[in-house]
Amino acid sequence: MKIELISVIGLLLCLLIIGIEYILLYRLAELQDEHTARNDNIRRRLDIHVEGVLYAPTQGSRDAEITALADEINGEYAVYEMAVKEIKEHQGSGFDDEAKEKLIERINTQVDPVAMYAKMLDEGDVYHKGYACRRLADLEALEYRDKIKECVDSKDRDLAYNAAMALCEMGDVYEVAAYLLRIENDTQYSGRIVNEFFDQFTGDREELAAMLFEKCNKYMKCTVIKTIAQYKIDGFRNMYIEGASGDDNQLKIACVKALAAFGYPEDEQILQIAAGDKDWVIRSSAVRGLSLLKTQTALNTVKHALGDKEWWVRQTAAQSLTRMDISPRDLEEILGGYDRFAADAMKNVLYKTVDT
Amino acid sequence: MGFLNAIRYFIVYFNYFCMAFTLLLNIIYIIQLFVSFFRVHHNYNRTFSDDYLSYEDSENLLPISLIIPAYNEQEHIVQNVRSLMKLNYPHFEIIVVNDGSTDKTGDRVINAFHMHKIETSIRYQIPTQKIEAVYYSKTYPNLLYVQKANGGKSDALNAGINISKYPLFTCLDADSRIEKDALLRLSLEFIKDSRTVVAGGIVRIANGSKIVDGELKGFTMPKKLIERFQIVEYYRSFLMGRVFWAASNSLLIVSGAFGLFRKQTVIEVGGYKKNTIGEDMEIVVRIHHYMRKHRRKYKVTFNEFSVCWTQGPMSLNDIRSQRRRWQIGLMDTLISHAGMTFNPRYGFVGMVSMPYNWIFELFGAVVETIGYFLIPFTLIMGELNMFFFVIYFLLSVSLGVILSEGSLVLEQYTHRAAMTAKQSIAISVYAILENFGYRQIITIFRVEGIIKYRKLRKTWGKIQRKEFEQ
Repeated sequence: MKIELISVIGLLLCLLIIGIEYILLYRLAELQDEHTARNDNIRRRLDIHVEGVLYAPTQGSRDAEITALADEINGEYAVYEMAVKEIKEHQGSGFDDEAKEKLIERINTQVDPVAMYAKMLDEGDVYHKGYACRRLADLEALEYRDKIKECVDSKDRDLAYNAAMALCEMGDVYEVAAYLLRIENDTQYSGRIVNEFFDQFTGDREELAAMLFEKCNKYMKCTVIKTIAQYKIDGFRNMYIEGASGDDNQLKIACVKALAAFGYPEDEQILQIAAGDKDWVIRSSAVRGLSLLKTQTALNTVKHALGDKEWWVRQTAAQSLTRMDISPRDLEEILGGYDRFAADAMKNVLYKTVDT
Repeated sequence: MGFLNAIRYFIVYFNYFCMAFTLLLNIIYIIQLFVSFFRVHHNYNRTFSDDYLSYEDSENLLPISLIIPAYNEQEHIVQNVRSLMKLNYPHFEIIVVNDGSTDKTGDRVINAFHMHKIETSIRYQIPTQKIEAVYYSKTYPNLLYVQKANGGKSDALNAGINISKYPLFTCLDADSRIEKDALLRLSLEFIKDSRTVVAGGIVRIANGSKIVDGELKGFTMPKKLIERFQIVEYYRSFLMGRVFWAASNSLLIVSGAFGLFRKQTVIEVGGYKKNTIGEDMEIVVRIHHYMRKHRRKYKVTFNEFSVCWTQGPMSLNDIRSQRRRWQIGLMDTLISHAGMTFNPRYGFVGMVSMPYNWIFELFGAVVETIGYFLIPFTLIMGELNMFFFVIYFLLSVSLGVILSEGSLVLEQYTHRAAMTAKQSIAISVYAILENFGYRQIITIFRVEGIIKYRKLRKTWGKIQRKEFEQ
């Protein structure tokens, strides 16, 4: 009888859970419907206000429309974002990006979105705080820098990332460098962060990189060198030359890539040596760098790389050759030549670049 | 007399075993449901601060090769490629691999996209059937069409991997559609954690939904009961099961319709296994096997916000064929990697995930089916207490309803706004009804798969599917 009693209790419990689930489902679905209807309504009203703001005939009527829009937004960041998005995506004539930005600035003076996000930063959970940090940075609210700095120290990785990214957009070199140094040992994570941060950084990238080089480990150093290669920072060339000629393979890969991005004729010798390196990544970077030089010796090396044992190097060489001044005779020689690897790589690239 | 008594005792105790087994399975599912709820809650909040759209034009995203293996897909292929071209992703290539189709799949692609034959060097990093020709289009430079000898879906995927140039690839079914932002959301799993080698997206049943250019434009309840049941079933399977297993890095399957893979890892493990119909599960299990064996750090993850739409089977015959194939695929994979089971070297995958799949997903269907026949029989024979039987029946149905309703709550929680409140409540009725007949029939189909394992393990079943509304 005991087991039957337990079964009945179990059954009643199940029915209770089902009931709760039903209420939850219904409530969520209802909220969802309300949310959709409310958004549709807001969107409809925003359409009218935005239209009014954009096409107001006089300054006075535009101000009145902006006030009406501010009333509609009523301190809700989601509504504000919808309005801004609508203005940005407006396709009407006479509104270039600059005009739209000016209009948004005028709306901002009435709506005060900084206050909205500042409130979110103070009162929100970690997710809202992270979001607020980013938006405050977008709005260049430098006065909140200290509050954002506090979030960089958070134990929550996403919040710390968002706060550091916000500081990055604000160009805070010390805080960004400190954050990157803090995560340098997390190699699964820091590589991507370095890329994103240098991409978004509004301050002096050379200063940031120099600060990192001073204190960071080898992995971070290589990552930073590879990341900033695209910015062609002359100040680090000597370091690159030294690294490209050194024994450390990882550093060599990064430095050859960075030197290759410059395309300076005085680096040709280093790149020529690198094109014969045992590591195919170095060979490939060197070939890409040589293709920028367009000298006869560089051309010969790139042609030679068409027969490389590594597929990627052959492809890079073939792509590089199309950017160099290769003569029809040279091309004919490659395509009809003995080296099938070279001919295949070249054909592959040509079919995709030349009209057939 | 002794012999008859022995049979009687066996039947009675086997009944108890079946009951205990069913209850245990449902309790495990409920644990999964609770874990998934917290996981989905966390992930949903995370998407808020992730601001994934800021990556839209980012150079930091990894480029992706989209591989579409196609065999006699003349009806869907052009429409599918066109829909993929509108994806919201900065760098991707589409590779259509025609696996020796006997219909006009090839002609349709070549003509629709003005393609011409090119000579290209191919690195056969994974052995495949001969690639006969590669076509390229100047008008659509990110599209490649590959013509190869027939070798099966795995072979076509391997050929696509060989010809692809990007570090990530995804395999897509020719008759599925992925949402505009799905790739962007899924690829962030690789950006956020470089240990990620596989990421699966959620597959939803498109029957009844209007999908235009990768965007959901509306939902109407599908006409057939079987389609309605599948909607509930897919929510349960993806939002509950996969979210749970991914949380413990022991997800053994990423749907063949939509999964993103790190190409180098797939090449290292030797590509997709040929002559199996469960290649999507097998490749993920092999990656677990390889990575754990070589003590490498890795992650197999799942993103419930990356959506792929697929047309579910519309007839009982088609669903029978589909479920048989799934069960055979499961069995094939478990047998191939049997050495991982209860092997501590393979961590949670070996100690929990593999045994769970053997016991509950594979043999569970057998125990459940025997129970369907044996328990009523015992009741008729007077060996089972009627009250006990009724309670057991109600309990197992209630547990089933809890799971299905829970999945619907999860679905609603992910704020899809796909259904109205009325539709949500209407679909929840099917979460109850599926326990009276549909679930039992599906279980029997699964058992049929096990019985016919040897006969059907290398055959393909073609399922009749609806066109996506345009």
